This record gives sequence, C-alpha cells and structure tokens, in this order.
Amino acid sequence: MFRTAMDRVYRWAQKNSIWVLSFNTGGCNGCDIEILDLLTPRYDVERLGIMAEASPRHADVLLCTGPVTRQARSGLWQIYSQMPSPKWVVAVGSCSNTGGMFLDSETVLGGVDSVLPVDVYIPGCPCRPEAIIEGLVNLIERI
Amino acid sequence: MVVNTIDIDALFNALGGEIDRDCIQQDSIQNEVVIEIPAEKLLEVSSVLLDQFDLYHLSTITAEERAGDPDYLAVQYNFWKGSGLTLLTRLEKDSPVLRSLTGMIPGADFYEREVAEMFGVQFTHRAETPPLLLPDDWDGDPPMLQKEEPK
Amino acid sequence: MDKMNIPIGPQHPLLKEPLRLNIEISGERVLGGILRLGYVHRGIEKLAQTRNYNQNVSLTERVCGICSHVHTTTFCRAVEALLGLELPERVHYIRALMCEMERIHSHLLWLGILAKHIGLEMVFMHTWHDRESILDVMEELSGGRVAHAVNQIGGVRFDLDEDHGPMVDSTVKKLKVDYEELLDVIEHDTTLKARTQGIAPLSAEDMKKYCVVGPVARASGVDVDMRRDDPMPPYDKLDFQVITHPDGDAWSRTYVRLQEIRQSLHLCKQIIDDIPEGPISVRAPRKVPAGEVVMRSEAPRGELFYYLRSDGSEYPARLKIRTPTLPALGILPEQLSEIHIADIPVVLAGIDLCIACADR
Repeated sequence: MFRTAMDRVYRWAQKNSIWVLSFNTGGCNGCDIEILDLLTPRYDVERLGIMAEASPRHADVLLCTGPVTRQARSGLWQIYSQMPSPKWVVAVGSCSNTGGMFLDSETVLGGVDSVLPVDVYIPGCPCRPEAIIEGLVNLIERI
Repeated sequence: MVVNTIDIDALFNALGGEIDRDCIQQDSIQNEVVIEIPAEKLLEVSSVLLDQFDLYHLSTITAEERAGDPDYLAVQYNFWKGSGLTLLTRLEKDSPVLRSLTGMIPGADFYEREVAEMFGVQFTHRAETPPLLLPDDWDGDPPMLQKEEPK
Repeated sequence: MDKMNIPIGPQHPLLKEPLRLNIEISGERVLGGILRLGYVHRGIEKLAQTRNYNQNVSLTERVCGICSHVHTTTFCRAVEALLGLELPERVHYIRALMCEMERIHSHLLWLGILAKHIGLEMVFMHTWHDRESILDVMEELSGGRVAHAVNQIGGVRFDLDEDHGPMVDSTVKKLKVDYEELLDVIEHDTTLKARTQGIAPLSAEDMKKYCVVGPVARASGVDVDMRRDDPMPPYDKLDFQVITHPDGDAWSRTYVRLQEIRQSLHLCKQIIDDIPEGPISVRAPRKVPAGEVVMRSEAPRGELFYYLRSDGSEYPARLKIRTPTLPALGILPEQLSEIHIADIPVVLAGIDLCIACADR
C-alpha cells in the first residue's frame, strides 16, 4: 500500500491519541452509557490517549451504537462525511454489528455496515467497557 | 396523595344525567373500569371525568385492530386516578375520525400524533398531526395496520 | 432583534441520544423550540406481535438501557396477571430490590449528566464513580451490568445466596456515606444553585395538564408515585416517603431525585432484611389465555404503562408501551421559552430525557 510522507505523519499522530466521537444511531442507551463510563474514574480511557470529542470535524474514530434507523441514516452519513480522513468506524454492540434483535423492523435498516464501512466490530449486548477498550486498542494497533 | 376514588355509581349517574345511555360498562380489562362510548360522545364524557371527578391524568391512548372485529379500530383512552379507568370507542376502519382532546388535555398531543401515524386515525379540532416517530421518508401505510405473521 | 433558528441534533454534545430540536432565538433569549423524535424508533410494539412471550421479555428489556429491569418487570407482571399466576413472595422482593438499585443507578447517572452540562466535572466523576459500586452489586446478582435479564415469566432467574445479603448491605452502607458527603457538597454549592434555581419553573397545574409523571411532576408538587398509589408487591409492606417539592424549577428536580436516592437506599436495606425464603419461580405455560390487562409501575422517570392483549396464542395480539419520558417531552416547548441560551442544557437535563424510551 502506497503511503505519502504526510499520511505517515497523520497516522503517527493519530496512533498516539485517537479522538473518539460517539453517535447513537438508534440504540437503547445501554452501550452509550457504557461508552460514557469509559471516561469515568474506573476505566478512564484518557490514560490510553483516547479522548472523547463532540465535534465530527475533530474526530478520528466514530463509535456507533444501535441499529441504524431510517431516520438516523442521513445524520450518520453526514457525520461521517464531516470527519477528516483518515477515519475509522467502530460498531459497538450487537445491534450495530448486525441489526440485532431489531433487524426485522421496518424502520431499521440493519447494522452500521449497511451505511458505512466498519473497521472494528465489538459484540455484546450491551458491550462491557473492557470490551470497548479492547476494540479501541485493536484499532490503534492497526493504525 | 392520590386517593383511590373513582366512584363508579356516581360516575354513571353523572354520565346518565348529561349524556344518554350509550355508555356501557365493560369488564374486558382486569381490575379496570372500562366504559364503551360512541366516538362522538368522547369530548362530553371526558369533560365530565375531568370537571366532576378530577380525572386529569391520561396515561395514554391505545389503538388496536382486533381479529374478531375486522371492520373497526378500537381506541382506548386510559385514564388513571388511584386506579385505571378506560374509555373505549370503536371507529370504522374506512374513515376513522376522532375529536381531539388537546384543547382540554394538552398532554394528549403526542398520544394523538402517535395514533394518527400508526393507525391512520384523523383527529379533528386540532393542529396538524406531523410525524412523531416515523421517519421523514416513510411512504407506506400506517405500520401498525399491516399484520405480520409470527416468525 | 432578528429572530434566528438554531437546529440542535441529531448529534450534539448536549444530547446523549439523537433528537432534533429547532430552537428559535432572539439575541440571547430563547423564544421556543420544536421537537422531532423518531431517530431511535425501532418499532418495538410491532415487533412484539411477531415474537412469543418469552422472546418478548428480552425485547422489552431493550426498550431502554437505563431502566431495562422495570420494563421487563412490568411486562412479566402483565403476562402473569393474564395467566392468573400466584408468585412466591421472594420473587417480588428480588424484583423490587433490582428496581430500587436501578433507580439509584439511574438517578446517579442523571446527576452526573446534569453536573457535566453545568460544568461541574468533579461531581460528574464522583457520581459515576459511586454508580460503579451499585453496578457491581447488580452484576454480582444478575450477571449483567446494564441488561440484567432478571425476569422470566413466572419468576426470576437467579436467587440470592447467603453472601449476597451482606454484600448489598455493605454497599448500601458505603454508598450512604459517600452519598451524604456528595449531598453535602451539592446542597451547599452556590454554582449549582445559581445555575438551577428559578430556571423555567412550571406549576402543578401545568404538570397535570400535560399528564407529566415521576420526579418531574413531583418537583412541581404533584404528589404521585405508583409505588404507593398503585403498588406492586412488596411496596405495600415497605416504608418509604414520596418526595415532593413545590417550586417546579430545575433545582427542585435535582432536590427530588437526590432525596429519592436516599429513599431507595433505605428501601434496599429493608428488602434485604425482610426478604422471605421460598422458591423463585413457578412454571408458566407458553400459551396465554385471551384477555386484556393494564399494568403501571414506577420507573426511575415515572409511571410506566403497559397494555397487553392476548388472543389465546403464544404471541401477544397487542402490546402498548407508554414510557414516562413521552409526556415529559410535552412540556419541553413550554420550558424552552423565555430562557437564556445557556440554560438550555439545564432544562434538557432537568427533565431527564430518555429518547430510547420515548421512541421505542
């Protein structure tokens, strides 16, 4: 794979500190509060250089929770296109992996991979914070 | 403190005095008072409940199709004051129209919008019912009217 | 001054869940807001008709990730009422214990979010740290931190063994100490009071008109609590107070929830002390006899309403869920008028929105 020198600089910088944006595409909140839990004293992902970021324009990684509902689809796409490249998408929880138990519903499109390319899938309903950390660390190693 | 006081006899007296005898007590729901009323009497009966019996809390509006009653939609107004009281009306499925309660109970707004989009019921005497839960690009029929076979 | 529209959401730092809010402003003043839900609408009521009763227990657990246990409890109670099952006393106590722990965890979570919106990062970290200890107990009892899968139709899936009682006991004791310390800080904190007192107050009349339930209604002086007024066992045997506050502003909502944590800790202690011995489930048939039932429970956010109709088959003919957040959203337009832009987060947090619940 051909990489420019600038690209290598970007990746080196991102690898040391990824900025994470979380977006609920239609989930039940279970995974969202576990993601929020990552910021609190017990799990504290900032020690790994992972920082929560609220604006898509500053984020490197998009953490998606929940199945993608028809109404949330355009919002999800907009957020993804606003993120600067190179960017990664992590599907957190069974619903965002595959659509989970809501796959049959008419208002649900399916997992996040029905809209965006996904780099890391984290299973679990809801995922434990440890699992999310492992997924993110996996991602960092791949950057 | 909410005192458990829905005096059924007094309620029927009040209803019988002001409205006619179209209101029939049913026992379809466990431990609840269910009164079947014609759709056009909904506003009158609700105002009696609200003004004379202080039944201000409308828990929700539940609409459903019933297999034994295929031409009608059953719409229930679930009130609560210490215990439940339900007003049941039946609407013709071809043209379901109901008088809105939002003038009297503003909290009914979301419930009516949900019934309107999920079952296609039209509410009069209120503002438009924009979609509440369905996506903007929804183009099909009201979703709860389409039956699906259990998988 | 010119009017301007600001769209907030579906993704916004203010919102943990997707929701679109179009706010009309004139200078620093907010004139009104229009709400658009539906980003989390998964059609659960419709899906419920295609699943059997046992599958529906796990489906209703996923209505909301914060108050998951009370949803399954209400659903199971509705099915059990149709089946006419007499449950062992111990089942009710275990369910109530989980309900109360869930209320503590939900209120602590909410307090953290409020503090974060106001800018008190320290309170956010402290409350979420305290919340971990209650999650630990729930995990130890049920095996799940967030989705507990406690209920099945006809009982509960796990029993308390002899070390669980002392464990709950010591956690409650420890939390009480931590909590009183935190309460002391919060109650005397001038910043928090300055940011919440007098913000968008609503009267008891407004609450009744909009059919609002739970802590939001109680903070305006509406004295209603399903645990006392329409009790499921064993709440009729337990001692607790219903907390109300007359003011109806953001501070009184904070006050009510803070005091409710204390009541819930007190309830946990009573449940652990009084829990009777006995079996934890009874056998339930797969098919449920035809009938209709309405169930109401007190979720952390207020009255939770379930309507269930069975036509005698293995699948529910109609399941209607009305969650406490939906009526609370009705007062939002009224709350979002004549306030400052900086107060929007406080108003939103004060209601304790749970969009996943409201959208289903």
